[in-house]
Amino acid sequence: MFEDRRIGIALAAPAVLFVMLAFLLPVGILLSGSVTTPGGWGISRFTTFFAEPLYQEVVWRTLRLGALVTLASAAIGYAAALAIVDTSPATKGRLVGLFILPLMISPVARTYAWIVILGRTGLVNQVVTGLGLSDEPLRLLFTETAVFIGLVQLFLPLMVLSLVSALENLPADVVPAARVLGANWIAVFFRVILPLTREGLVIGGTLVFTGAVTAYITPAVLGGSKVLMLETLLYQRVSVANDYVSASVIAVILIAMSVAANALLKRAAAARKR
Amino acid sequence: MRIALGIAVALASAVAAPASAQQPTLVLSAFGVAQDQLRKDLYAPFEAKCGCKIVVEVGNSADRLAKLEARKANPEVDIAVMADVNALEAANKGLIDPIDVSKLTNYDKLYDVVKDPLGNKMGVGYTYYATSIIYRSDKVKIESWTDLWKPELKGRLALPNITTTQGPLLLFMADRAFGGTTPDFATGINKVSEIKGGVVTFYERAAQLAQLFQQDEIWAAVTGRFNWPLLKKLNMPLAWATPKEGLTGGLNVLVLTKGSKNKELAMRFMDEWLSTEAQTRLAMSQVDSPANKEVKLPPEIADVLTYGEDTAKGLKLIPPAQMLANREAWVSGWNSKIAR
Repeated sequence: MFEDRRIGIALAAPAVLFVMLAFLLPVGILLSGSVTTPGGWGISRFTTFFAEPLYQEVVWRTLRLGALVTLASAAIGYAAALAIVDTSPATKGRLVGLFILPLMISPVARTYAWIVILGRTGLVNQVVTGLGLSDEPLRLLFTETAVFIGLVQLFLPLMVLSLVSALENLPADVVPAARVLGANWIAVFFRVILPLTREGLVIGGTLVFTGAVTAYITPAVLGGSKVLMLETLLYQRVSVANDYVSASVIAVILIAMSVAANALLKRAAAARKR
Repeated sequence: MRIALGIAVALASAVAAPASAQQPTLVLSAFGVAQDQLRKDLYAPFEAKCGCKIVVEVGNSADRLAKLEARKANPEVDIAVMADVNALEAANKGLIDPIDVSKLTNYDKLYDVVKDPLGNKMGVGYTYYATSIIYRSDKVKIESWTDLWKPELKGRLALPNITTTQGPLLLFMADRAFGGTTPDFATGINKVSEIKGGVVTFYERAAQLAQLFQQDEIWAAVTGRFNWPLLKKLNMPLAWATPKEGLTGGLNVLVLTKGSKNKELAMRFMDEWLSTEAQTRLAMSQVDSPANKEVKLPPEIADVLTYGEDTAKGLKLIPPAQMLANREAWVSGWNSKIAR
């Protein structure tokens, strides 16, 4: 676009400088703390961290919940996105708007609403005991189930939006063509729609997984200390124990998880292509 | 031109002079809470008396302790307030000086429990609080710490997490109530792990309890007296237990920084903080429960604070030295038996 490349570089400079100073440098300092040991560089901080059974459990729980939330969002997201794409442009706009709406409400308020809904005297338990499904109110609050529900609700819109834009780019005649050629709906989804929208799934999946494993408010409020996840453990280590060493170890683990999830999803998408 | 400049400089220094005219400055390191009220009730009246200026550095205990340590050679802070255990840590690291209590005119008015909590007169307590069980008096009856193990409280109990200041206090009283004898609270930890399945949550923010009581999630919780005013406002049948094993609690102390250049002024300020007048003002504003036994409070204020000779005498506190030596062991015991 510019005849002189230097103009481009000059234009990019403020952004690059800002990212360097405000993001890369502090993150670098934080992360270097995780590999600095009294005796020099090393991974002893990580071995100490993973030697604690409680922390192993927290890492495993974070991975498990992150994966489950991503899977559930993908399943619900595809169904919703297919329905949305099938409507008229005006309705589509309204429906997408409806999905974006929760993103505009503070996560704190949304999460507190779940406390009321999932509580002992909340809506869910009123239905369950009212229908006679259980004599005792179910214990939902401060369980993994509550955290799972809260996280799915929080991140589902990101998945739906990614899938809607992927499905919109789907050539209009591929699905009818597959149907005409005798494919049933299951075959159409797995052999036509899924392969052609995998880019959207990779983007949505990465957003949802990264969001779920790094969310703080939802696990803190709906799970509490009985359902520790890496993010709530990180907060606990910093704010209560002033243990910045464990905190930087956790930060590295979280970044590694997000990068790995993205790489894994991309690979899965690429493998399908062949 | 030169003259004009000269006049400007002269004027500027004349304007600046009163502020720096050798007005002594005392630097206080304190908690971030209620600073506006402390200024009104304590700092401002003292500044008027001494003709000095009080500068406050705020932060949590751990941060402020780290700062004191970093500036050990050339301390900026003259006087600090801390939780007893952090103050003992400061003493062990050689960051604070013993206090000549004979120079404190108000020292004899203090409750015994706050007079020398760290030993060697390293710190003087200025406030304390009790911790007990708050419960639904229409649902359960609580007369002992062991009542928390009653079957009717299964699925109806909130306990403090070990990461809060209240967590170790719970272990301390559970250990005592069930006849524990070791400083690592092994008995207490085992006992709490027996009921962990029936604990709704191990809370980390005391403010959470109001919501849990209100939504009928819990019928009992272990918490500090400072949470009582908020819970009383719920207008529910809640009661503050007086278990037969006694109440526990915590206290905050005033300490003098080693190498402070304003030791005399710091001592005067400390004496002022402990005075009946200042302690009464701070109690009436519900900032701190009084450590001075001459403070007389109306019932409605006394009810929301930790107050009175009987309370002070019956208080079972974790000795700071035991806390310092065993805190890590309690956390790892908790993490392996209760948190998982």
